[in-house]
Amino acid sequence: MKINDAVWGALFLLLAVAILIHVQGFPTIPGQKFGPALFPGVIAAGLGACALVLLARGFAKRGSRGNGARWIAVDDWIHSRRHVVGFATVLGINVLYVAVVDRLGFIITGTIYLGALFAVFGVRVRSIVPLAVVITLGIHYAFYKLLKVPLPWGILERLAW
Amino acid sequence: MSAAWAQAFALVFDPYNIFVMLVASLFGLFVGAVPGLTATMATALLVPVTFFMAPIPAIAAIVTATAMAIFSGDIPGCLMRMPGTPASAAYTDEAYAMTKKGQADTALGAGLVFSALGGLFGTAVLMLSAPALAEFALKFSSFEYFWLVLLGLTCAVFITSDRPLKGFVTLLLGLLVACVGLGNPAGFPRFTFGSTELLGGIGMIPMMIGMFAISEIIRYAVDTSPQLAIVDKPIGNVFKGMWRLAKKYPIQILRGNAVGTLIGALPGAGADIAAWITYAISKRFSKEPEKFGTGHVEGIIESGSANNSALAGAWIPALVFGIPGDSITAIVIGVLYMKNMNPGPTLFTTNPQNIYAVYLLFIIANLIMVPLGWWCIKISKQILKVPRSILMPVIMLFCVVSSFAINNTAFDVSVMLTAGIAAFFLEANGFPVAPAILGVVLGGMLEENFVTSMIKSDGRLMAFFDRPIAATLGLLTLAVWFLPLLLRRLRRLAGIAEQA
Amino acid sequence: MIKSLARSLAAATFALFAVSVFAAYPERPITLIVPWGAGGGTDATARIIGALLEKELGQPVNVVNRTGGSGVVGHAAIAQAAPDGYTMGLVTVEIGMMHWQGLTELTGASYTPIGLVNADPAGLQVRADAPFKNANELVAEIKANPGKMKASGTGQGGIWHLAIAGMLRDLKVDPAAVPWVPSNGAAPGLQDLVAGGVDIVPCSLPEARSLIDAGKVKSLAVMAEQPAALYPNVPTLKAATGSNWTTAAWRGIAAPKGIPADARDKLVAAIKKIVASKDYTEFMTQRGFGIIYAEPEEFSKFMAKSDSDLGATMKAVGIVK
Repeated sequence: MKINDAVWGALFLLLAVAILIHVQGFPTIPGQKFGPALFPGVIAAGLGACALVLLARGFAKRGSRGNGARWIAVDDWIHSRRHVVGFATVLGINVLYVAVVDRLGFIITGTIYLGALFAVFGVRVRSIVPLAVVITLGIHYAFYKLLKVPLPWGILERLAW
Repeated sequence: MSAAWAQAFALVFDPYNIFVMLVASLFGLFVGAVPGLTATMATALLVPVTFFMAPIPAIAAIVTATAMAIFSGDIPGCLMRMPGTPASAAYTDEAYAMTKKGQADTALGAGLVFSALGGLFGTAVLMLSAPALAEFALKFSSFEYFWLVLLGLTCAVFITSDRPLKGFVTLLLGLLVACVGLGNPAGFPRFTFGSTELLGGIGMIPMMIGMFAISEIIRYAVDTSPQLAIVDKPIGNVFKGMWRLAKKYPIQILRGNAVGTLIGALPGAGADIAAWITYAISKRFSKEPEKFGTGHVEGIIESGSANNSALAGAWIPALVFGIPGDSITAIVIGVLYMKNMNPGPTLFTTNPQNIYAVYLLFIIANLIMVPLGWWCIKISKQILKVPRSILMPVIMLFCVVSSFAINNTAFDVSVMLTAGIAAFFLEANGFPVAPAILGVVLGGMLEENFVTSMIKSDGRLMAFFDRPIAATLGLLTLAVWFLPLLLRRLRRLAGIAEQA
Repeated sequence: MIKSLARSLAAATFALFAVSVFAAYPERPITLIVPWGAGGGTDATARIIGALLEKELGQPVNVVNRTGGSGVVGHAAIAQAAPDGYTMGLVTVEIGMMHWQGLTELTGASYTPIGLVNADPAGLQVRADAPFKNANELVAEIKANPGKMKASGTGQGGIWHLAIAGMLRDLKVDPAAVPWVPSNGAAPGLQDLVAGGVDIVPCSLPEARSLIDAGKVKSLAVMAEQPAALYPNVPTLKAATGSNWTTAAWRGIAAPKGIPADARDKLVAAIKKIVASKDYTEFMTQRGFGIIYAEPEEFSKFMAKSDSDLGATMKAVGIVK
């Protein structure tokens, strides 16, 4: 997605102003001349300055191309259903993972995770489930057993090995 | 003296010790090659195992595993643009660009050979001048670190000098991310909005995984062009042409090694910062800076050797004064105490066979890195033959699990995803992401060293030039900033004078 | 396909539930949360206890670092873990400090205490070539030139900050006479001491040990009732200055509130046995760490006292209002 520099500039300017307002509420610390507001403040000011340059650039570019140039130009993939589904799945599956991994446990969640992505990316249907199960178990073994990462068991708690 | 060396040889070439080193090598190669798992994590995992070992095998396990991990972090970075450890992040884009051009063997070979060389150089410095260098490193106070960090941030601007404004914006975003949490000199919770997880700040590693790996996977998901991004060419001999490269870039190798060792020896700055700074130095002084970023091996040679020499350098203050040079040696010091090899000047005088044995371990670890690393590269290359529709989901699950593993919290998985989405949109619009990561790495250090310096000097800014090393570093930083301007002005003046 | 798989998985799960209801605690791996990073003293203590607990209980014990927010994140993770006896943590002195600063609601009372395992008193370290021969000379210099001597060794309002501030208050010196330079732990503070950036580091003796042994740093006093076993020649603060002030950083094992009684009893007995074991005492002595033990009831009284003492100091020196 191509977004005009001016739009980025406006977004960053908004962020910078919000931070500058927010840091006004930071306290001063006894014995410290430079309090916690200084650094975020300086950085936000810098960001604001850059944002203004981006704004100016964006408008200049748009002006030079006439009114035909769009603020936001979408890429080709937005018109392909397969790719939109792919994009949504990549994001959605991670959100789902964070939401349910503690309850369902890693092995079930990981299998669903891989299975969904394999399906979207066009892996042969009959290989999806076996691959997802085997790879999930492999990753579980590597991290849980070898690297001692406490991956959650969730509802398989009693089964824990 | 020679009796001590003989004892050291006996300790190191004990069959059990050799066995431990081999197992630790495989472990290190694996941990390093998984995106997000760091060399520090490899060390922490080894600690309980070393409880039950004699001193030399215990140290051998750590030395070998970390050396391997720092090298093998290059492999996924080069093949898939997913740095295995933060120490590889500086030149990941460069190495990936080489892979796309079909030069993966050169990139990986350079990483391997010059990593080993860097490790050996760092070891040589450790052997010859550990006490003197440690004394020097101990002179660094917050004033010196402030300049060093500022110099590092200046590097970020060099790395992205083709798009300075957008690079500067992402650097500032990275610095802002570093502000989140309680980890500031005031101990005041900033931008946490009442969240306990945010009190701890936003981790650099989940962010790095997100910005490099997840954004790459999103790009794959929406890639409408049918052809593969990577030139599928069997890996040839990775050692081919290395001698030619060594002859072509001798200064780069030496400079990378020396700067890497020095940065490693400084407490608090490790292999990752060494890689960033040397990569920038390499570009700054290169005869062909325009080639950087397009798949040019010069920067990889310099910073690839620097991160491994930093690893050895970090042991210098750790062994001489028990002050950790990086997070790995922080753990090592604990192990040394446990094994009754208390760090300190006496370590070098009483029972010298132990310290000689440590030197030998470093040498052996860096030598066996070459065949083992070569073998690891060959195996990794097979990964590229796996269909991307299978490979990409598996890598993404690896990323999720590694992000979780850093601090054992699902929060870091959310950080990874957010950073990945942000990086996807930023990169699509010409904003480079590497400066953002450097900003997160150095942001906290910059603020901390500035504020603590100001407390020490009662708010006197000129205190940054009071101490000799600080003044030198300060002038160097200012020179890097203003010299190009000054030179241009002088040249113009000279031109006017000639005309007149 | 997916449906049938899900069905068989569910069946397997239920079968296992049914079988294992009667099994005795512990029947699966245990997690030990450390609120501080790998490489520090807390991490090392947790890892040795983890290794010994594994032997004692016959189940793997995974030591897990949950860092960040000056310990808040990890302490919260311990308190909020499932109260099933399979997750516990190493609680540190900061649990009695964070809530005064408004960073968390948690206090020592938010946990099931299992056992106190270690305490390291604060020392009073200066550069080896500093002109002070004893603590009195240092205090006299602080009085004569308020604001000149700087101290470091932990973050703003951290335990070592309170140690020196409380000491000065007890000696009738304004705590603000020694400005605090926040640092990321004792090691960077000591490094800065040697580099000449600060003048005093009131951290524990084991933290300063390597630099004391290297002849770069000297310790003038230890803020405890007894001299430390590690350096018996370093006088107590009372012997050196007459002040009764003591401060120590302590660590203890604690579980979330409301764990089953059988799990609790088993853990209490295991920790008691470990602290008395040769492996533990040898390890702790090797590292120079102090050993102390208190049973759950004593431990919770200990935490309550530590909490109110620290709160009073923090208010008195103006870290909290």
